Amino acid sequence: MKILIDNAEVECKEGDLLIEVMLKNALEIPHFCYQEDLGADGNCRMCMVEIKGQKRPQIACNTFVKENLEVSTISENIKEVKRSILELELLNHPVDCAICDQAGECKLQDYYMDFGLYDSHLSTPKTKKGKHIDLGSNVMLDQERCVLCTRCVRFTSNITKTNELGIIGRGDNSRVAVAPGHELNNPYAMNVVELCPVGALTSKDFRFKQRVWFLDSTKSICHGCSRGCNIYIDYNETKYSAEKVHRFRARRNNKINKSFLCDYGRLSYKELNENFNADVSHVKDLKELLKDEKKLALVSPSMSLQQLQAVKSFCKDNSVELFSLPYIDENFGDEWLKTNDMSANFNGVKELGINYDEDEFGVSLQEAHVVINFDHKYLKNRELKSKKVVHFTTSHVDSDYELIFVIADFAHDSGTIINCDGIRQDFYATKYESQNSRLVDILEELK
Amino acid sequence: MITKIVSKNFEIPDSHLIDVALANGRYSSLKSVFEKEPQELIDIIKQSGLRGKGGGGAATGNKWQIVSDWDGVKYVVVNADESEPGTFKDRRILSLDPHLLIEGIIATCYAVSSNISYIYVRGEYEEFSDVLQGAIDEAYEKNFLGVGAKYRVDITIHRGAGAYICGEKSALLESLEGNRGHPRLKPHSPEPEFYFNEPTLVNNVETIASVPFIIENGADAYRAYGTEKSPGTLLFGISGNVNKPGVYEAEFGISMLEFIEKVGGGVKKGKKLKAVIPGGASTPILPYEMLKDARLDYENLSALGSALGTGGMIVLGEDASMVKALKNLLRFYHHESCGQCTPCREGTSWSDKILDRFVAKKATTEDLEILKSVSNSMNGKTICVFAPAASGVIDGFLKHFEAEFLECIV
Ligand SMILES: Cc1cc2nc3c(=O)[nH]c(=O)nc-3n(C[C@H](O)[C@H](O)[C@H](O)COP(=O)(O)O)c2cc1C
Ligand code: SF4
Ligand code: SF4
Ligand code: SF4
Ligand code: FES
Repeated sequence: MKILIDNAEVECKEGDLLIEVMLKNALEIPHFCYQEDLGADGNCRMCMVEIKGQKRPQIACNTFVKENLEVSTISENIKEVKRSILELELLNHPVDCAICDQAGECKLQDYYMDFGLYDSHLSTPKTKKGKHIDLGSNVMLDQERCVLCTRCVRFTSNITKTNELGIIGRGDNSRVAVAPGHELNNPYAMNVVELCPVGALTSKDFRFKQRVWFLDSTKSICHGCSRGCNIYIDYNETKYSAEKVHRFRARRNNKINKSFLCDYGRLSYKELNENFNADVSHVKDLKELLKDEKKLALVSPSMSLQQLQAVKSFCKDNSVELFSLPYIDENFGDEWLKTNDMSANFNGVKELGINYDEDEFGVSLQEAHVVINFDHKYLKNRELKSKKVVHFTTSHVDSDYELIFVIADFAHDSGTIINCDGIRQDFYATKYESQNSRLVDILEELK
Repeated sequence: MITKIVSKNFEIPDSHLIDVALANGRYSSLKSVFEKEPQELIDIIKQSGLRGKGGGGAATGNKWQIVSDWDGVKYVVVNADESEPGTFKDRRILSLDPHLLIEGIIATCYAVSSNISYIYVRGEYEEFSDVLQGAIDEAYEKNFLGVGAKYRVDITIHRGAGAYICGEKSALLESLEGNRGHPRLKPHSPEPEFYFNEPTLVNNVETIASVPFIIENGADAYRAYGTEKSPGTLLFGISGNVNKPGVYEAEFGISMLEFIEKVGGGVKKGKKLKAVIPGGASTPILPYEMLKDARLDYENLSALGSALGTGGMIVLGEDASMVKALKNLLRFYHHESCGQCTPCREGTSWSDKILDRFVAKKATTEDLEILKSVSNSMNGKTICVFAPAASGVIDGFLKHFEAEFLECIV
């Protein structure tokens, strides 16, 4: 079925939501309250369109398409409607974009440039509300910047069902708030910052650190657990400092995480910034060690398939007994995204047939003279007396070692991982060159 | 001019007590109710032409049919939130003849196959709510309600917390479910209201209180009053600059000026009539010049560019300041907007603040332009009709009394 939007034919199905049809076709449709995962609430009235045969403008987020629908978003009339609603939206806004973290990714700014551009008409006093309110879980609220779209409220009521946030007051006195004595406190709380279309909710972790237009983004996958939530890594390198990752943002994947992340995964970007310096050992010394008879390797279940494959071939070529063990934390998982298996690619380990029997590993470890650790967390701070230990690592190592090779982390070494549901996903390296070598390159050199 | 159907027992002392009520005909319609099949009752209500008396005037029979046809556990919710300035009729029924309402609820529940009814009473109506609860308790004792009744109906009173918007039926149900009283998005095709996802009928107190007479006397007896399209009677309220403010029942279609003169006792101190807000605060004001042939029915007032609303007339005499009158109304809208829709939340507040500048006689021509444009932004672009009503109120004042506003411009 086809409908007409601004005189152009658009393909869709009877009963589709008009706003979804428009977004899918990359057509301009301003919206605050509608969000793909939260649905429509109909409160912001930003998505108004003109529909042929209807005397009043309609909201696209509550219009279902049917045969012969003719929609206009550009008639003078509808432009005026949008302009006037935007003017009302901004009426009591503090217009403090210069110090707002959302600047650059704020819908109000975008829409103002598209439909607003009027001179302020305000001759009456603005309504004053609260600023710098600490809601908990790293989330700060500025009630004056809020457009009351209720996305954050609906997130806590419909998605996490924790109900910490609500609207209090009536009319222009309406405000987002937490109940007295309570705080925003759930393992997914920081999603509200990303959901907020304006600068009303900001993350304490990111506030005031960077202007968003100075950031580069790379498509990646969270390595925090086996769910494999899709993310963007936002990072940059300035004249004065080395490359730094500033945040993870959710990247939509309707089969996995929709547009959400858990707070643990979201904040796990910090591990990528732990600068770890060690005097990197020489490959030839490793060759020397490989002459020993009893050799064992443990590979991290969060390594990519490419890395695992390289490790597997290396072990085969050099008669090293190879194991991998999953990172299990019985207290981490929940009914939604988080899984008890905190390894990013344990399904990859299984696919490549790498031994993950814990008991067999224990026995072999006792007998081994040389232990090669491929970035597995369990061995990084474990004393392995009377053994020669080699670490290939992306992070700080506590225990004594014979040799150490610092390798590029997942932000600098693209690859593929398989999530808990068997979905294969690629992630990519940021555009800056890593100071550390890629694991596969080092292993190549050993051949 | 006065016709007593719903208000028949209002003047009988202690008519809220069940013995007095029974002695004066209350619950007598139940015999005819239970003799009939539910669908027959719905058909009688349809034939009577009964229209909702909460302001909208929707055909009651059709609403009942939709609920009756819908699958699920059915609820009957009585809207007693009455919070609109100028409207104070339902409280008369609650306090003077609560058994009439209970009788009506039993008939309605039977007609739409419901066993559970809630009465949502305006928060400030504590006193009336207590009288009503007393009557409900008596009705349980006499087995008109509860397990011992011929047809089981349970009634629970729910008192609101003082928000006008909770009178809007979907906001009322949100509130009844324990949520904030925010109106819901309107459906795309005819369907009942929903209480916890179950089909629900929401009717005004007076609508339900009109049911016993119709069932007992037949649709034609009701149609004997009023006009073809607005049959029956209404409890008209009259307030403002009149000598005898109050609630008086009359047929639809009578002359407004005659009603004001004869029933309301005319404008105070013999002053001239300047304007009338015909049906509660949310109906557009009409100047005296337009009222010569005005009749109190839905069709006539809508043809004049206003509405019958709840029939609560607010009368303004020649001394009334239209600027102050509008300020008074806009303060109400500012205070009562639920705040979810942008045009209403910001528009009601802005227009109220602009009116301050007119009242202070410090307005500018631009203020007047803004007032008009804000009003336009509120019309037809929101979830419920609260904002369009506010818009209509502003437009009405500016259309008929713009000169008074221009005088306040520096
Ligand atoms: C802002 C607003 C306030 C309302 N307040 C009331 C009220 O206090 N009482 C009432 O019966 N209806 C009120 N209504 C109308 C109700 O939404 C609903 O139409 C009515 O209760 C249906 O009953 P009826 O068909 O018997 O009139 C209000 C509507 C709006 C939009
Ligand atoms: S804080 Fe942000 S997400 Fe929440 S209601 Fe306000 S604008 Fe919407
Ligand atoms: S659920 Fe797992 S993969 Fe998703 S964000 Fe959290 S830690 Fe990362
Ligand atoms: S029009 Fe006003 S009162 Fe009605 S839902 Fe919108 S904000 Fe609330
Ligand atoms: S996006 Fe449609 S009303 Fe907000």
